[in-house]
Amino acid sequence: MFFLSRLANMIEALARIHRLLPWVIAYALLLPLPWIMTTFFNEYLIDLANRACLFILLAVGLNIVKGFCGQVTVGHIGLYAIGAVTSAVLSLEPGGFGGALGFGLPVWVSIPIAVLFTAAAGLVVGLPSVRLEGAYLALATLGLGESVRIFIAVTPALGSSTGLMMIPSPSIGSFVFDDFASYYYLVMTAAVLGIYFSFSILRSATGRAFQAVREDTIAASVNGINVVKYKLLAFVLSAVYAGLAGALFAHMPPGYLHHNNFTVIEMVTLLLMVVLGGIGNVWGGVIGAIVVTIAYDQTKDLVVYFMDRPIIIQPLVFGISMVLLVLFMPRGIGGLFEGIQRNRRFIRRSEEKLGGTA
Amino acid sequence: MHLKKKVIAGVVAAGVGLTASAAFADDIRVGITMRMVSENGQAYGQMVMDEIDAINASGGINGNMIKATLMNDECKSDKGVANANKLIFQEKIHLLIGSTCSSVSLPIVDVTAKAGVAQMIPHSTNAKITQKGSEWVFRIPVSGRYYGGVNAKYVGENIGTKIAYICAADAASVGDCANMEKQMRSRFGVDPAYRADVQEKEVDFRSHMQKIKSANVDGILVAALAETMARALVQSYEAGIGEDVRRIGSSSASNAPVPKIAGDAAKGVFFTAAYAAADDRPIAKLFNEMTRQRYGIHAPDHDFSQAYDLVRIMEMALKSTDLELSSSSLAADRTAIRDAIASVEGYEGLASGPISFCAAPTPQCRDGNRTAVLIGYTKGGEDFETEVLARVTMEPDFGLE
Amino acid sequence: MGFDYNSLLAFIIFGVTIGVVYGIVALGISLIYSGLDIVHFAHGEMYMFGAFFGLVLAHNVGLPYPVALIGAMVLTALLGMAVERVFYRRLTRAGGGYTVAGMGMIICGFGMSVALVNVAYFIWGAEAEPFRANLDYIPRLQFSGDIEVPESYVLTAIISVVLMAGLHYFLRHTKTGLAVRAVAHNKDIAYLMGINVPLMISLIFGLACGLAAAAGVLIGPMQSVQVEMGYLMLMKAFAAAVVGGFGSLPGAILGGIMVGVFENLGAAYISPSHKDIYAFLLLILVLMFKPSGLLGIEAKVKA
Repeated sequence: MFFLSRLANMIEALARIHRLLPWVIAYALLLPLPWIMTTFFNEYLIDLANRACLFILLAVGLNIVKGFCGQVTVGHIGLYAIGAVTSAVLSLEPGGFGGALGFGLPVWVSIPIAVLFTAAAGLVVGLPSVRLEGAYLALATLGLGESVRIFIAVTPALGSSTGLMMIPSPSIGSFVFDDFASYYYLVMTAAVLGIYFSFSILRSATGRAFQAVREDTIAASVNGINVVKYKLLAFVLSAVYAGLAGALFAHMPPGYLHHNNFTVIEMVTLLLMVVLGGIGNVWGGVIGAIVVTIAYDQTKDLVVYFMDRPIIIQPLVFGISMVLLVLFMPRGIGGLFEGIQRNRRFIRRSEEKLGGTA
Repeated sequence: MHLKKKVIAGVVAAGVGLTASAAFADDIRVGITMRMVSENGQAYGQMVMDEIDAINASGGINGNMIKATLMNDECKSDKGVANANKLIFQEKIHLLIGSTCSSVSLPIVDVTAKAGVAQMIPHSTNAKITQKGSEWVFRIPVSGRYYGGVNAKYVGENIGTKIAYICAADAASVGDCANMEKQMRSRFGVDPAYRADVQEKEVDFRSHMQKIKSANVDGILVAALAETMARALVQSYEAGIGEDVRRIGSSSASNAPVPKIAGDAAKGVFFTAAYAAADDRPIAKLFNEMTRQRYGIHAPDHDFSQAYDLVRIMEMALKSTDLELSSSSLAADRTAIRDAIASVEGYEGLASGPISFCAAPTPQCRDGNRTAVLIGYTKGGEDFETEVLARVTMEPDFGLE
Repeated sequence: MGFDYNSLLAFIIFGVTIGVVYGIVALGISLIYSGLDIVHFAHGEMYMFGAFFGLVLAHNVGLPYPVALIGAMVLTALLGMAVERVFYRRLTRAGGGYTVAGMGMIICGFGMSVALVNVAYFIWGAEAEPFRANLDYIPRLQFSGDIEVPESYVLTAIISVVLMAGLHYFLRHTKTGLAVRAVAHNKDIAYLMGINVPLMISLIFGLACGLAAAAGVLIGPMQSVQVEMGYLMLMKAFAAAVVGGFGSLPGAILGGIMVGVFENLGAAYISPSHKDIYAFLLLILVLMFKPSGLLGIEAKVKA
């Protein structure tokens, strides 16, 4: 705890020099990761990091609508799917490998279009939130998310059950982003930007409006906040994150998408990340995404023997963890940190008031 | 079904992640990614591991042991790709075996081609897997493009040309339906009398059966995964469609859940597969007995036989090469293994015909198994029985455009 | 060429026969909602456990099918009550699920669903099991010449009516039923009236799980029993509960029938590959335009 305190002090000092300085330094520290991995460990860890970054984007985005704005959405994975499939279809060559659609657009064009399209879809997904709350909203968003997946699964133009193959990698001139390290720079940059913008949103008037809506919609509207507008805005913003994550997922080597990448299980995993990290806390999404991705990778094939049969225990542990987290640690890991931060602020303010050191 | 043998430590996922992976000199490292959570899914992987154990027990490959790592991909492409990446880059395997589901094998082909690791496919039948131009992929099962032709020929000549199609939305069945349709059209000039594209795990076929009943067809093709197919078969009888309308299964019909769940409805169903338990060759009888004892199953399907043949072919190929097996010779060793598998010719094992590969990255070279067997169920239920109706070996470019 | 009324009748009949099963599960969901103010996302797993318990009782223990049905209902009710007591009670006591920013119960439900599915994998494995039931004493129906309704579907219809009637009788004409309704209406007042509220809550939950189990055992002979059967049934049952109106018991059955008919007609006349989407579509449309459903009172906003 002491170490974290010192770290927090250091970051604050840097931020006083320039607001963005901590971010630039953090980004710079992350840049040599692929080289470190390859030299001291192995390349696979870069792939793991890439997947963690995608989940960071997803979790941070989900936190905007769920944590900041308090809207119960369980269909986020559907937005991820829309972003992925849209960018894939736009950038595939026509006459594709399985009856799939293709428009042959360059990847740098297809990704932004996919993000915009997903934002629009986010608006649609958010519409039920205007009238519904709580479990009703959960049901509606779940239905929407699953419908997206089923639609992809049965539409040959979108890959159907064979999936979308040979999705091109992004390229600048003759440099192609088709290996772990180069892709890392893409997704890591996106993730860092995503975290930064999430903080910006949180600290802006919009963020405060979101939180007002979360706490009490009636009080918020009495105070002049257009509840509908902010609810929908939250969905659209989170959809932007999901769309970007999806598009980056689609173009990641080997460039293959299948509808069962977007099932309810993936949604539940995302929920676990957000709950573990702490709903409503930007770093919560980041921590949750990283912890769950690594934990999943490490425990994936562990087996225990039950009645002479090897059983894979990881899904059971995940399910029970979710239940226990909700029961005993509802604010997640981020919640613990929030507590520490609150204490620190209290101590500092007391010091200022008392005009001396503690 | 309880497994009677314990799995060796190789099942546990590789490594403690962030530690440097020791390049084990002298071990041949084989990575396996399959779908493990399904009926018999565990047993297939188990058998591969058991056979590798046996190879090691009798001296390994020219004195070198095989270190095998088995991973579960849950039939999901992202997990399969992650497994492949982990096995190739962290475990530094020399050879990859994978996967069960076509939707998982398809992207892995790109991964292995780029990384330069030979990939031996145990179960996937979707034709496109070998049509991507990869020099590194070798398919042991019979490709779906062969099945369509054999089925169509037999159906058209013995049953009739008015066929209703029920096609589930999984990668293998979609391919099976497409192949059958193409073959029926080119051989007999007919289109499906009725076609229903249902969901992958459809449970209620009654509305389709009702329509099929009034369409007066000669036969019903049910292309779906095992449990779904079984349900469709049962409901076809419940709807009152008589026995005179023959039921035709896709290649999943050889999986045990079909006769087990369909019970009497499985009787009379015929399908094409790569191996028949009713095969009367001595090697087949021995294999049936072995799997019965070791894995507690009633009769092995072609997923068992293909996994077995794969290990034998792998053993053959590995023994024929001279591998250096040091940490600097990884790329050279991988290439050598690939070339060794490519020169396998005329392997005679459990497969109903010879398996041969060659070096060119074409489907003609990489679909090594070209013999399909027509099998009919004579009895359904847990203790089902089958008979072999015909055995056909196709030309290498059959079913390609 | 005239419209094929015979086929239409067939599809409607199919829809009704499967719809009553959705309705039974939806009954449980509605009960839990009105009694405990929570939407139980793990209810599909109760249905699945019921089917497996029934299978074990019928095949391994050798009980006759109707006895296995009742046995499964009891076992699953006990399982449900245990889960509720150990896990959910903490949450619901903290104000109807409004922890973790209003999503506690929902997330807990998902987690419990994953956990239960995997416990089932442990016990029974991933294989689908056939449920052979001796139903020779049930008649097989035939409508207008060639629409067959097999025994299992007839039995389902009969049992659904029996269950509905039984539940109705219990709630309207017994003292315990009255206590249950009081608790559903207002827990605090019921408590002040001297009703043992925690006991009633357990009873409600057990009852709901028992209903789900009945549905599972009924479905068994129609479709085989598999660990993953709960998820899709849950979606359909949610749709049924929403359409009929959350909290309304006759609405649940009615909603179930509507969902069954709607999806069968959609599959028959629009496109069979989108069958599950029809149920979701119905769910979303009803939620958007009439969240209280057909027979529901008002859209109570609870977690």
